[in-house]
Amino acid sequence: MKNAYLNFAQMITGIMVAVLLFIHIAVQKLGVILSFLGFKISDPLAFNSMMERARQGLWAGIYICLLAFGLFHALNGLRNILLETGLSPAKMRTLTWLIIIFGLIFFALGTYVPLVLLTT
Amino acid sequence: MSGDAVKNIIFRVQRYNPEKDERPHFEEFTVPVKHGTTVLEGLLYIKENLDSSLAFRTSCRMGICGSCGMLVNNNPHLACHTQVEEFHSNKLTLKPLPNLPIIKDLVPDLTTLFEKHRSVKPYIIRPDEEEMEKPAAEFTQKQKELDEFLQFTYCIKCGLCIAACPTSASDKKFLGPQALGQAFRYCADSRDAGQDQRLAIVDAEHGLWNCHFAAACSEACPKGVDPAFAIQLLRRRVVGSAIGAAKAHTPAGVVAPQTETRAKVPVPEFTVKPK
Amino acid sequence: MADNRPRENSLGIAGWVWAGNYTLERYLYLLHRVTGLGLILFGIFHLTATTIFRVQGEAVWNATMEFLNNPVFMVGEFLVVTAFAFHALNGLRLILQELGFTLGKPVPPIYPFKDAIRRKRLWTLVTLAAVMVLVVFFFIDFAAGGPG
Ligand code: HEM
Ligand code: SF4
Ligand code: FES
Repeated sequence: MKNAYLNFAQMITGIMVAVLLFIHIAVQKLGVILSFLGFKISDPLAFNSMMERARQGLWAGIYICLLAFGLFHALNGLRNILLETGLSPAKMRTLTWLIIIFGLIFFALGTYVPLVLLTT
Repeated sequence: MSGDAVKNIIFRVQRYNPEKDERPHFEEFTVPVKHGTTVLEGLLYIKENLDSSLAFRTSCRMGICGSCGMLVNNNPHLACHTQVEEFHSNKLTLKPLPNLPIIKDLVPDLTTLFEKHRSVKPYIIRPDEEEMEKPAAEFTQKQKELDEFLQFTYCIKCGLCIAACPTSASDKKFLGPQALGQAFRYCADSRDAGQDQRLAIVDAEHGLWNCHFAAACSEACPKGVDPAFAIQLLRRRVVGSAIGAAKAHTPAGVVAPQTETRAKVPVPEFTVKPK
Repeated sequence: MADNRPRENSLGIAGWVWAGNYTLERYLYLLHRVTGLGLILFGIFHLTATTIFRVQGEAVWNATMEFLNNPVFMVGEFLVVTAFAFHALNGLRLILQELGFTLGKPVPPIYPFKDAIRRKRLWTLVTLAAVMVLVVFFFIDFAAGGPG
């Protein structure tokens, strides 16, 4: 069961990442997309507009979800690849822990900043 | 090539004798080939006329026993089921199937294949132990139920799929396309009640989830078994049972044994009657 | 006595790349794996840039954007979005097909055999066509020198 859940989650997080990253990229490219349609807006990458978004709870939520799903998907995918390289179970256990610790540190780093920005 | 014209083809064969050789090496033999000559016939010619020490495995010479799997020009084939002409080349390179150990020359060690095959319980499992061991009558099965898995029953355990699979190449513990495909073949059988046992075996590390649907196994399979397809259908069942969306299944019942023999079909008038 | 145990003959990791002449999907498998690993590398780089440099204020952020606004990183960005388009769409195909959708039903094995994924090759081609459309869009954006 454990494997079924982990890998089904791999599929679900894949879909979530697809949706959220689409939003993420679309916003970054908003200027380009709109200028295709004949509109001009201020650059979404400019510091002010970025900080503006960062202060809204919805955007912070989207970025934090994207980070969580993306990290799970990427690191579980990495572990799946490593599982197929013929490493011994002991080495695999160590690597799994390293991957989990890396994921937690990265999640902390990635959420700390939006949270700080949200509160300033 | 037309008719009975004979053409000389070079067979470049990988040799390895564990008692003498440090590592495998190649030897070349010239083999006369006619229209329709199979690779296996070429090998038999070498063994009978050129070098009797050449080792390869064969039995049925008609694509039924699964003994003669080998790499011909780097792709897995049954030697008996493959004609030399197919390659449009004056030279064939023969190597043993990869991802399985070499016993000698072109003979791969299929022990791991059979162990993995056995590990997925490839037989009908009945809820009633007594009925399973000493069946007193036939189990019912409709044609439609048979069609659900018929194609997957044709596996001859030749190992070609394992030679094609990228996961089998690097992960020796991986169950492999053959065993996973057969796990589905029995789960899909309407007479069977062993799905839960088999799902627990395949839903493990080095099991079903290390298939990424590269589908090379299905391309290599000489019997149209399509193991990659079977594995995806099996995965659907694993996910279904994990998220509680599995369909309930009652194994087929038994047909009451026939007590009377029906009257013989009358011999048609036009046949030659026995005196 | 010589060691007569069967000799190891696995292709190993090289077997992920090539094990014979197979058609499309075996190489899409490889590409999915390579793009997945590539996206991990980009993700680490991207997150570091947008967190550590962003909290340091406008000056550092603008300096970072300035530093990234050169041909090398622009080509890099194009490669990343291409890899992403492929991985995402091929990933959606894999999710559907690995759950048994779009593959049809088992067929009687009548020669010449054609397996499910090749009977339904159209889905693979549709996926690749969609990837191409996205890549063309990204390329126009890249050629137009859109904001990095
Ligand atoms: C955008 C939407 C995405 C979708 C729909 C998606 C989908 C998938 C799926 C279905 C798999 C499993 C494939 C298999 O069965 O072999 C997978 C594997 C993987 N993904 Fe994604 N993915 C997405 C984004 C990402 C991103 C952004 C990353 C990296 C940061 C990533 C990294 C990986 C890795 C490393 C694997 C393992 C590859 C393998 O086992 O060969 N994916 N992805
Ligand atoms: S599934 Fe096909 S290729 Fe694999 S062992 Fe069975 S017959 Fe051979
Ligand atoms: S000799 Fe039996 S399959 Fe080739």
